[in-house]
Amino acid sequence: MSNTGIGKRVKRKEDRRFLTGKGRYTDDINLPKQAYAHFIRSPHAHARIGGVDAKEALALPGVLGVYTGADWVADQLGGLPCGWLVKSKDGSDQVEPPHLPLAPEVARHVGDPVAVVIATSRELAREAASLVEVDYDEQPASGTLAKAIQSDAPQVWSEAAGNTSFDWEVGDEAAQQAAFAEADRIVEIDVTNNRVIPNAMEPRAAVASYDPNAESYTLYTTSQNPHLIRLLLSAFVMQIPEHKLRVIAPDVGGGFGSKIYPYSEEVVCTWTSKKVGVPVKWTADRSEAFMSDAHGRGHITKAQMAVKNDGTMLALRVETYADLGAYLSTFATATPTYLYAPLLCGIYKMKAVYANVKGIFTHTVPVDAYRGAGRPEATYLVERMVDKVASELGIDRIELRRKNMIQKDEFPYQTPLIFQFDTGDFEACLDTALEAIDFAGFEGRRAEAAGRGMLRGIGVSTYVEACGLAPSAAAGALGARAGLYESATIRVHPTGSVTVFTGTHSHGQGHETAFAQIVAEKLGMEVDNIVIEHGDTEKIPFGMGSYGSRSLSVGGSAISKATDKVIEKGRKIAAHLLEASADDIEFEGGEYKVKGTDKVLPFGAVAFTAYVPHNYPHEATAPFS
Amino acid sequence: MTRIALEVNGAPVEAEIEPNTLLVQLLREKLDLTGTHVGCDTSQCGACVVHVDGQSVKSCSVLAVELEGAKVTTIEGLAESGELHPMQQAFHEEHGLQCGYCTPGVVMSTVDLLKRNDSPSEHEVRAWLEGNICRCTGYHNIVKAVLSCADKMKAGGAAAAE
Repeated sequence: MSNTGIGKRVKRKEDRRFLTGKGRYTDDINLPKQAYAHFIRSPHAHARIGGVDAKEALALPGVLGVYTGADWVADQLGGLPCGWLVKSKDGSDQVEPPHLPLAPEVARHVGDPVAVVIATSRELAREAASLVEVDYDEQPASGTLAKAIQSDAPQVWSEAAGNTSFDWEVGDEAAQQAAFAEADRIVEIDVTNNRVIPNAMEPRAAVASYDPNAESYTLYTTSQNPHLIRLLLSAFVMQIPEHKLRVIAPDVGGGFGSKIYPYSEEVVCTWTSKKVGVPVKWTADRSEAFMSDAHGRGHITKAQMAVKNDGTMLALRVETYADLGAYLSTFATATPTYLYAPLLCGIYKMKAVYANVKGIFTHTVPVDAYRGAGRPEATYLVERMVDKVASELGIDRIELRRKNMIQKDEFPYQTPLIFQFDTGDFEACLDTALEAIDFAGFEGRRAEAAGRGMLRGIGVSTYVEACGLAPSAAAGALGARAGLYESATIRVHPTGSVTVFTGTHSHGQGHETAFAQIVAEKLGMEVDNIVIEHGDTEKIPFGMGSYGSRSLSVGGSAISKATDKVIEKGRKIAAHLLEASADDIEFEGGEYKVKGTDKVLPFGAVAFTAYVPHNYPHEATAPFS
Repeated sequence: MTRIALEVNGAPVEAEIEPNTLLVQLLREKLDLTGTHVGCDTSQCGACVVHVDGQSVKSCSVLAVELEGAKVTTIEGLAESGELHPMQQAFHEEHGLQCGYCTPGVVMSTVDLLKRNDSPSEHEVRAWLEGNICRCTGYHNIVKAVLSCADKMKAGGAAAAE
């Protein structure tokens, strides 16, 4: 029996180091002889770069180098890739312009890095940067989504006519139109889902070093997924062999999506660490984070719902413009398409839903997945629409939801948009929520508040989410360029304690405790005997990190399955030692037992035997993992 | 360069610093006390709060040269002989932290609060935390931790020891 297994109230194992100032975040890491990078960023939303004059900066003692986009191009290196291919409704691929870490000819947003200064101190790098002269020729800009979609808007990329990367659709438009023809009423809504800036508490940072003897790089970076960074940097950006790049994401102070993507700054630190011959460190300040961390949301949407006068929902039509920013970030094109539109059914039965999404370039910081990524945008739109329908038809907003939601005896339910919902009881969820918040008593609370001169309101929303991104044929068919696998290794030490290696990454989620609980439950031990290792490509075989609510569902499942394999290996050893058939050995409460007897062997004894195999069934393999 | 002498976490410290060196730079870069964090460049986030002569200050907004002879306590100096301070313990008990980045500043700030007011109301705790930003917890468990710490320290009859 484990007292600290699944469902038990366990205090977090990671707390102590954070509470005593012993956390180890990227900016806490200092390497011998390290230099510091300072980025020179465009102050203009759109400007041609005539030239960069770094003579004065380079003359300062302690300035090790100034590098520009031209140097990057001269080294024949690649750009930061987009991780998802979205095709337009005419079958053409998304327009995917190059995203070089330093802009070589044109700066396309305020904060676009144009050059970098490497110097022996942070202050010197900053001072030297102020001496670098960049010849900007400012151009007209499409600084907002609303402006970028105008016919005469300044163009972000010549190859993207109308600033459009893709014009994508999902759903059966003919069925939607047929359902609209049956409607008593078409309810319309315009929604702006404004751009947000993620702002994790820990600013992004990177420390990179190059070892000329091993011809290999080590990069410490503020990442939610170090293996993804290694893969993209090796395969696409810098063409470093993957085994010659170690990426470590140590303690990370929050991510909220913004630390999924490879960024210019960590690439440039890695690149220049070889050029200047010493490690290169960069830490964003908060103002810089606003100009360089990927932003979220940024939609303008027009939607129409066809309804009957009795409140029956027939169909939904959605037309969304999605702001992509100036470059395609890693999941920029997946977020407003596949992570958004298939959720536009909400939990409601409709004959048809049709969505058209246009991905639009603007002269702004790139936009990518942020907290829920597309799915909150869909839910907000649908639920605002349902409230508007209730208001126009004079039907109670809760009764309208009840009337149209998929009923519990209708599962599995094929939605009109890709997904099949396998199971659910939405009405039970609604009733539970209404009771928990004492919805019936709300009018009394409103009156009480009014008596104090205060206004009190209450909102109603349902929510359904597609999450736990994992490998599937569907993900591949829809354009995913990443495998989305998760790995787990359970290493049992000779004395029976356990180290777990997971490819997910914890940046506040508490994996060191929660994942230990999974293993503790299965092995019948306590979490104190289990350590979770994550965040280092040298230690962990592979993994896709943490985002999209995937750590427990995908990574936790991998840990659970790997633990089962360990138990099975142990069963063979136990059978040998207990002189019984493996089929007769059961594992329970941390002990192997011969069924129907009192012959038992603790897990630790089996582990020890695996390492000290004087009496050992050699068909079972060591080491014990 | 200027030479200053002060006390940090109970030990005498001397350092050669530039006149524009901030206290947080002295702590992080010269003394390797990296538990004090920097989360902004506008004195708003509070991740860098330490105590100077017993009072909470944002170490990003203090020049190190002002601290000749001062007694500075950082998050690393709060636990005594390996025993967590009651506030650290309360954050652990009440799950008052997630990613941990804002935590040192919040803990140092609220230790000072309880020295000034040993039985704050929930509203007073929330008002006091105006200078500390947390992005993970929604503050709910932070407030619970501070109130729980206040209760326990009163019950224990212990002065807000530091």
